[in-house]
Amino acid sequence: MASTENAQLAAGLLQARPQPRLLRLLTVLTALGFAGTLALALFAAGTDIQQGEIQRIFYIHMPSFFGAFTAFGLTVLGGALYLARRETKWDHMALAGAEVGLAFALINLLTGAIWARPIWNTWWTWDPRLTSAAVMCLTYAAYLLLRAGIEDEERKRSFLAVYGIFAFVTVLITLFIIRIVPETIHPVIIGASPQNAQGSFEATSGVVLALLPSMLLWLTVMPITLMWHRARLERRMDRLNQLKMRVLDD
Amino acid sequence: MTLARLLLALAAAAFIAFTAAAQATPEDSLPYFQSPGFNVPRLQNWEEQSSGENAQFYLAAASATIRTALVSATEAPAAVEAALAAGGFPQPFDAPLYSGKVNLADGTWTNIVYAIDQERTASAMARRAGDRFVVISFVEEDPAARTVMLTLPRADEETASAAPEISAALAQFADAELAADAALETVPLPSGSWSAYRGADAQALGMVFGNDSYVALQTGTLGELAPLADAYNRTLLGFFITPDNSAFLALGLATVFLILGTLLLSFWWRARGIRQDFALLQALEREDG
Repeated sequence: MASTENAQLAAGLLQARPQPRLLRLLTVLTALGFAGTLALALFAAGTDIQQGEIQRIFYIHMPSFFGAFTAFGLTVLGGALYLARRETKWDHMALAGAEVGLAFALINLLTGAIWARPIWNTWWTWDPRLTSAAVMCLTYAAYLLLRAGIEDEERKRSFLAVYGIFAFVTVLITLFIIRIVPETIHPVIIGASPQNAQGSFEATSGVVLALLPSMLLWLTVMPITLMWHRARLERRMDRLNQLKMRVLDD
Repeated sequence: MTLARLLLALAAAAFIAFTAAAQATPEDSLPYFQSPGFNVPRLQNWEEQSSGENAQFYLAAASATIRTALVSATEAPAAVEAALAAGGFPQPFDAPLYSGKVNLADGTWTNIVYAIDQERTASAMARRAGDRFVVISFVEEDPAARTVMLTLPRADEETASAAPEISAALAQFADAELAADAALETVPLPSGSWSAYRGADAQALGMVFGNDSYVALQTGTLGELAPLADAYNRTLLGFFITPDNSAFLALGLATVFLILGTLLLSFWWRARGIRQDFALLQALEREDG
């Protein structure tokens, strides 16, 4: 009987459920949108006469942070729903958010450092915004390490749901720190930059024209598409583990 | 459906926020002359005569020209002569009336003043820019007056005004000296706060900027010096070269592709591992069965 169930489970998993139509649409949109927004940043947006070509990295640097914001925000949502309902799909969503969000946050952090080298004449400085962004990355890297380190599944999911909710504080601090700590040299593009900001530029209509599609892509379509793929993968991984356990039990 | 709604809500919020931001920000009409080689402010109320890579502005009321040009030369004096020749002032020139070097934030500049002929005087600042020289020149063609523009290292950094440099310029070009107790008037101009001296045969304006002083001096029949000094110094202070940092952009883009590529590759790798494990488990089941 168990053997028959296992065979059915394995057969079902081998023939992975086809991607939902919406996910396929989002995947195509993500690919086309990424290529399109990159083309806008590289070819349609004007060159900043003070900063030079490196300013174009801004069209990825800032949207990638907001992409991380969306992904980490969905980690909070997934964690809260898991704690409330104890359904593994919400844990999968939380995990997917942490993983995709960390990739986006690393893009944000590293493109910022690469921009800073020619503009600030240094790869890194312990500025409040940079420090908080680094702490945010480390916090979510720790989330993934903890996930690999706790064996008890139920305990792991509950603990990481709580961890994921509290980790979001680092995202909020990173987002708002340049508005509340005047010592930062990190520029603000929308609104007035801090007094000590270095490397500011105005969000003119040309900048916004190239930035808006990129923001929409990185804030919504891109993290959700990647998270959806990651969550599906995790679901299959879970089912594989179930199958392994049954085979071992047999 | 829930996901689709969330997506739409986020997209709508982002669209509204950034449309609002776009409307709240100024238009990008930078008052700058831009060329691949350099950028200088456009001078309002001056007639623009720029062509190609060279920026040129002319003020008919003072018969004055301010020209910024990139020229190929091996030395600063030759660069200045080449820039002036390209601007329509034929060589050869006599020995310069003044020549000196000054260190500014963007490098070492050579300041040279030539008497082109009895009526025309050229003041120029030149510095190396890659394999060429950038030359910012001021030429006045007023037969009744001589106007020169100087950039001098500050003689006394404890003195708040440019009085020592004005005195040095007067000694050099007007054969006069500034009395130690001379009262200098303060003149606010768009380029900064200037100290003004006005004598019978000469007038001067001086502005302290960092470790240097900018001095504008006029001898002969005195006219309006302030607009000339202000325009030339706005050009000097507003001049900059757009940096070539496209290699950093390439590095940034490579980083983005590397991180996203690693993420996607890890998805594929893990999916492949799952497929292989299932296949193995199925094979085991078959063997057991």
